[in-house]
Amino acid sequence: MSRLKVAAALAAFALMATGCAVEDAPPASSAAPASGAKLSGSLTVVCGAIEEVCAAWTKGFEAKTGVKTSFVRLSSGETVARLAAAKAAPEFDAWHGGPADGYGAAAKQDLIEKYVSPNAAKIPDKYKDKDGFWTGVYVGALGFCSNQKILKEKGVDVPDSWDDLLDPKLKGQVATAHPSTSGTAFTLLWTQVVLRGGENQAIDWMKKLHVNVLQYSKSGTAPGQTAGRGEVAVGMVFSHDCVLYKERGMTDLVVSFPKEGTGYEVGGVGLIKGAKNAANAKAYIDYVLTAEAQEIGPTVGSYQVLTNPDAKVDSRMVKLSDVNLVNYDFEKSAAAKKDLTARFDAEVAAQPKS
Amino acid sequence: MSVATPPRGDAGAQAPASSARVKKSVDVPTIIVTTAVIAILALLIVYPLVRILVMAISPAGSAVVAKMFTSPVNQRIVLNTVILGTVVGAIGTLVGFLMAYVQVRVDVPGKKVLHLLSLLPVVSPPFAVATAVITLFGRRGMITHGLLGAETNIYGLTGLTLVMVLSFFPVAYMNFRGLLSSLDPALDEAAANLGANKWHTFKTVTLPMLVPGFASSFLLLFVESIADLANPLVIGGDFTVLASRIYIAITGEYDVPSGAAYSLVLLLPAMLVFLVQRYWVSRKSVVSVTGKPAGKPALLDTGARWPLYAASLLVVGLVALIYITVIAGAFTKILGINNQFTLDNFKYVLSGIGNESIKDTTILALIATPIAGLIGMLIAWLVVRKMKRGAAWLDFLGMLGLAVPGTVVGIGYAIAFNTPLIWQKRMFLPALGGGAAMLGGAIAIVMVYVIRSIPPGQQSGIAALKQIDPSIDEASASLGADSVTTFRTVTLPLIRSAFLTGLIYAFARSMTTLSPIIFITTPQTQIMTKQILSEVDAGRFGNAFAFCTLLLGIVLSVMGLLTLLVRDRRGAGRVSVGGGL
Repeated sequence: MSRLKVAAALAAFALMATGCAVEDAPPASSAAPASGAKLSGSLTVVCGAIEEVCAAWTKGFEAKTGVKTSFVRLSSGETVARLAAAKAAPEFDAWHGGPADGYGAAAKQDLIEKYVSPNAAKIPDKYKDKDGFWTGVYVGALGFCSNQKILKEKGVDVPDSWDDLLDPKLKGQVATAHPSTSGTAFTLLWTQVVLRGGENQAIDWMKKLHVNVLQYSKSGTAPGQTAGRGEVAVGMVFSHDCVLYKERGMTDLVVSFPKEGTGYEVGGVGLIKGAKNAANAKAYIDYVLTAEAQEIGPTVGSYQVLTNPDAKVDSRMVKLSDVNLVNYDFEKSAAAKKDLTARFDAEVAAQPKS
Repeated sequence: MSVATPPRGDAGAQAPASSARVKKSVDVPTIIVTTAVIAILALLIVYPLVRILVMAISPAGSAVVAKMFTSPVNQRIVLNTVILGTVVGAIGTLVGFLMAYVQVRVDVPGKKVLHLLSLLPVVSPPFAVATAVITLFGRRGMITHGLLGAETNIYGLTGLTLVMVLSFFPVAYMNFRGLLSSLDPALDEAAANLGANKWHTFKTVTLPMLVPGFASSFLLLFVESIADLANPLVIGGDFTVLASRIYIAITGEYDVPSGAAYSLVLLLPAMLVFLVQRYWVSRKSVVSVTGKPAGKPALLDTGARWPLYAASLLVVGLVALIYITVIAGAFTKILGINNQFTLDNFKYVLSGIGNESIKDTTILALIATPIAGLIGMLIAWLVVRKMKRGAAWLDFLGMLGLAVPGTVVGIGYAIAFNTPLIWQKRMFLPALGGGAAMLGGAIAIVMVYVIRSIPPGQQSGIAALKQIDPSIDEASASLGADSVTTFRTVTLPLIRSAFLTGLIYAFARSMTTLSPIIFITTPQTQIMTKQILSEVDAGRFGNAFAFCTLLLGIVLSVMGLLTLLVRDRRGAGRVSVGGGL
């Protein structure tokens, strides 16, 4: 009897193991023309901005076109890892928000497809990829996010120069993220390369700063919160994050910029390779580049500078004309990233702080 | 009552040919259960891990592994990881033991409160405990700066140890509590009759019988602390450990192969500790339970109880302080900065954006809980009682879901389950996760919950079973019951306390898992922990704390229900079963 049972169990397993027959994979959806035809069906966006703005963007598109639009919020690294994991059958159609270097990495791994929207013509050239893999939707400038109360306690003025951060009175009072994990912190590092004329000089300056750094956090926005709590006097973040935290209740915060010039990020939008709803995705990209869609940002706490020159400027945004932006070469910085962050790890982060 | 033990066969670590009593009968139901458990583990963890670890063998991955042993930066990271695991494992186990000992064996007032507060940190939503600790003990902490005027630096090993010990000690507590209350007091009485004082009895009778408890608790805490990611991210400072290095590689450097290689390295210390504890326990195992204990243990009532009491009050005091901070945070704008009372956080969280995630997460966790609890007990039973060879392997397989950082599990799941497995035009597995899968990818989420939640129950089960004399099973078998019936009617009731530990942990852990979920969430499945992260990112700490408070409420209610359900209904047992809730 027991033998019978075993045999039955084995047979069941064998059946399971043979699997079910499947039809040939359906042909990849033919790339429909971007405009003209009436849109229908659905769209899934992977979104790298803050939750509310993702929700508002997708809702805006749905209202305009009737395409059922949903989103998942992921950081750039998570997006690239997740896209690479299911390359053959992508779950997403478009990618919106998050720094351009993520789009660069995705293009290199063949995860996104070129698409130049007719609406991209309006966007200044320095805010879009020359190969057409991504188009910029917003710009954020790196700034100092300081806690006025702590600065006063320490007897230090609001910093307006990079070298102000080296003040011995600020020992352990500066927060920045780690350039390997955070695009923000890498922007800081590359800005020093540009300003100081080379990688060696940049590493040297970071070594001096190191003495004053409390910790290199993993998340790029954390330094703003650390400063907001008064754990440190100055945090280095994109200025729109600092404005947001101040608005949310960390009222001691104040934004300032280094007069020598600062770096910036461009948030992108792009088309996922092999997207099931490619036509809808293209229409979405067209939509988010319009002034109308870009103006949604500041209504839900997103105070980045908008790339469409026709979009209304909100008073809480930085005026780029007031800030000295360095000449930031995204391609060159992306190519240098791996070695430069490894140098940072070995020569800066590993040093004792006294 | 076998106090002095013959070297009893320990789960086939070395097959004891000499011991004739431990006859491991092999019957068909056992074979079916074994096959099923192995098949489930193979699908839930081995397959996704193999898919991702294959990447570590790529040139990029091997370069990372090679550099691991030559670069001083990397050596430091490995060293930090081992230090963290050892410190948290040791302190957490001791704290858990202290709390359990005071609970079961010491005559002091207010034990119910002690018990509840010791269980509370089972629910530690990512970010909540670490943020509360920073609010209290940071440089501008309400206690360290506000009360004491000091500027302390909590970031780094100190803060990590504090946060992790407080978050992880409850599993050791529950483990020891089960073990201590099932020890037969007759042994202590015998020792006392022979003239031993309390300390001597404790040292020579009680402690040796708890060796499996110490070993399994240490292992669990070690593995859990080195694979934890959320805490190192918030409070780790410059103290980089492998888990955070993996995160850097994957999310910062867009380099999954390197991340896979680092996680391979991370498995080494985990495996080493695992082997050492198995070896150690197998040499020291003392069987002490031959059925239900008779008689009440004499409670410690000498002066020695007061320092123990004080220490345990300190622990629960800290726990209480931290959870009060979390709850207070839910009712203020930004705790520590703007302490104005407000209900806005709850209004916001309950007005749509949160409702759905609360519902989805709770349902998925409730599905995963019994599955994880049962698999944990089955593994424990197979490992201790049934398997000769391969017991160690099965034990380790069950631990894998916890030993591998969530980020790696998540990517493994995305690779393995977000697309259907098709080979030669035959589909062996439909897509279980991701937006294209059925049920909006909910199946993969339940699978992740299960695999991440098995280990605590499994380890408690193993520790509990090792205490129990196999002759009870044999009696059942010789009366004609097959082994599955024996498991159901004899073994499971005896290890009910461990089963409850497993269930409670499974639910709490499912509700608080974050890092693997990131790679398999879809628009259709809203997960609470992800919402918490979003709120933190957006600087709305009040909302994040409100979410954590709701999560705490849900888990505590379910814990209470589970305790009632699994309670010994016959009411005969003084083996109080995780009761008192």
